[in-house]
Amino acid sequence: MVFIYLLSGLFLGWSFGAKDTANIFGAAVETKMISFKRAAHIAALFVTLGAVLDGSGPSQTLSKLGSVNALGGAFTVALAAAATITIMVRLGIPVATSQTLAGAIIGWNYFAGKLTDFSSLAAIGSSWILAPVLGAIFAAVLFYIFRYYLSKVQIHMLEQDFWTRFWLVIIGAFGAYALGANNIANIVGIFVPVNPFKDVNIPVLGMVSGVTQLFLLGSLSIVVGIYTYSFKVMKTVGKDLFNLSPITALIAVLSESIVLFLFSSKGLHDLLVSLHIPPIPLVPVSASQIIVGSVLGIGLAKGGKNIRYTMLGKISIAWITAPLIAFFFSFVALFIVQNVFEQTVNVESRYVFDRTTIEAIEKLGYDSKYLSTVNGRSFENELALYKELKAYSKFSKDQLLDILATTELYPMTVDSSKLLHHKAKFSSEQLQSIATLEGKQFRHKWQLAQALERHACWQPKALARTKKAEAYNHNLRNLMDTLYSSFYKAGIAK
Amino acid sequence: MPLILKTTRFIEAQIDTFLDIVSDSAMMFQLAVDDYLNDRIQQFEERLSQIRDNEHRADDLRVGIERFLYERTLIPENRGDVLAILENTDEVIDNMKDSLLQFSIEMPVIPEELDDLWMQTTKASVAAVEQLVFAVRSFFRDLSAVNNYIHKVYFFEREADHIGEKLRRQIFAMDIELSRKSQLRFFAIHIEKISDYAQAVCDRLSIYTIKRQL
Repeated sequence: MVFIYLLSGLFLGWSFGAKDTANIFGAAVETKMISFKRAAHIAALFVTLGAVLDGSGPSQTLSKLGSVNALGGAFTVALAAAATITIMVRLGIPVATSQTLAGAIIGWNYFAGKLTDFSSLAAIGSSWILAPVLGAIFAAVLFYIFRYYLSKVQIHMLEQDFWTRFWLVIIGAFGAYALGANNIANIVGIFVPVNPFKDVNIPVLGMVSGVTQLFLLGSLSIVVGIYTYSFKVMKTVGKDLFNLSPITALIAVLSESIVLFLFSSKGLHDLLVSLHIPPIPLVPVSASQIIVGSVLGIGLAKGGKNIRYTMLGKISIAWITAPLIAFFFSFVALFIVQNVFEQTVNVESRYVFDRTTIEAIEKLGYDSKYLSTVNGRSFENELALYKELKAYSKFSKDQLLDILATTELYPMTVDSSKLLHHKAKFSSEQLQSIATLEGKQFRHKWQLAQALERHACWQPKALARTKKAEAYNHNLRNLMDTLYSSFYKAGIAK
Repeated sequence: MPLILKTTRFIEAQIDTFLDIVSDSAMMFQLAVDDYLNDRIQQFEERLSQIRDNEHRADDLRVGIERFLYERTLIPENRGDVLAILENTDEVIDNMKDSLLQFSIEMPVIPEELDDLWMQTTKASVAAVEQLVFAVRSFFRDLSAVNNYIHKVYFFEREADHIGEKLRRQIFAMDIELSRKSQLRFFAIHIEKISDYAQAVCDRLSIYTIKRQL
């Protein structure tokens, strides 16, 4: 069954490959600097390498939006996003994957009665404007720099051609690597907790983890998308919006890479912080939108006469409609999958206000007088609870989220055997401390966390200012998440 | 670095050699006309044969460059323009050769009083071709200089037309047979045409230059 569910992830990967390769190689292919075949080979190789060697966990922003908690839900959400992207690819329009996926996730949130983090949504929404504007500014500046430089150096036309081609390939390869590394999580990340692949020991290569195999499969779906369907969007990027020349193609791709790097590199962000320089905010920007902005920026820098504004209008409308379509598809598909195919698309959550949780809330320092209306009650809909608390209390948003987390019923039984595939992640002290709780049952996540925090190896570093301490705490949170999902036992302690 | 640019540098050298041949042929043409006017027919025939060789070499080089550019999909954006420039420049050599060949076949008797104008027309046409070579070289390396050379080509083309007209008027003002006048006019026009061809290449070159500018 997991493999059937995985198909929608692979469909998403396919649509992603068809669309996003155009961002990297569209301009180069359309200006005939690189043949489609060669571009596809390079993209396929580097996307796979990026996904397998450097694939990261689920995207932070997307996971903040809402965490789809059932495999059937993940399947449907991925399917809705993939279907939307496929429609846009058929129309030859590059849309942002993360925004489309966000639309589908919000569809799930509404279906499941979950809260949507509107501040994360706003961050994603702001990139609608930010990404193309940044792309356009950088491309225009680069255009003027290139024009000045090329008028000074007197480089032979053929050598200029050589270097343009060379850099288009190099930047394209890096872009493809980053694409695989950053986006594989969007594609198969949601399947990591239910990964059907087991670790395999391959001679010479050594141990290949199940997650790596999953990422490899995801990257293969991207590769199939690249070879079978990416040509159409390439034409939009390289020709339909504005006729690019090889040099302007290079400028567009360079601008895209710089903007992506500046606004998504945590390394650069940390470096600026350590040098006491105000850092560039880490905003989720879309490669598709930056490349369209970049092409537009070049067109404007050249006088703006040859820009095809109807195409631009079509793209802009698609950027707004894609997440809405994904939202609609997701909502409808979830209804069908749940009621027609009788699949679980949402693990029901319950929020209980009993003596234990009220005391825990008081320990957080929150005034429990506002909880009198909910005391003794339990809720099945996160959204309804949030709205009710908001209406009758003066808690801030963060406080409300803390209350939700405290009251959420999440029954668990400590069973070390469930950690068989994750043992390598834990230290021996941590495993020993887990063993001391063997067989114990917990109703809430915080209860398990508190029980473990009695051991030094589970205590977060209090002043998490340094990079090392931050990484330590982040790892600890990930380990706790593994414990929660491994020990979860539906039906107990209700 | 020289290793990875080997192919590029090779084609650059081929293009430079091609343009050298055009330039050599233009100078050779001028010397050949001078030889003819001064009755050094033996030397004239040698120069004609050299220009013929040049024409063959230029053809071979042009075809080689074309094949290289297409086989290796180099300069995809400008490939057609470059080939058009090379083909049209090649026609300038063909024209110079044809002109000398006609001299060699018909051996027109040119009255001595026409020598000076004849030579001036030739020099103006040759100067136009030389400036054309500079313009084409700049098209590959230094776009900002192209228009300067194109301007000079236009200047020498007008000069060749102007002196050529004078030459033709003088031919028809002379007391010689009409058939001879007609024959001399044909040769004068042939020499003027060389600068016209140079100008035609420049017309294309100025458009291609605009296309190449960022």
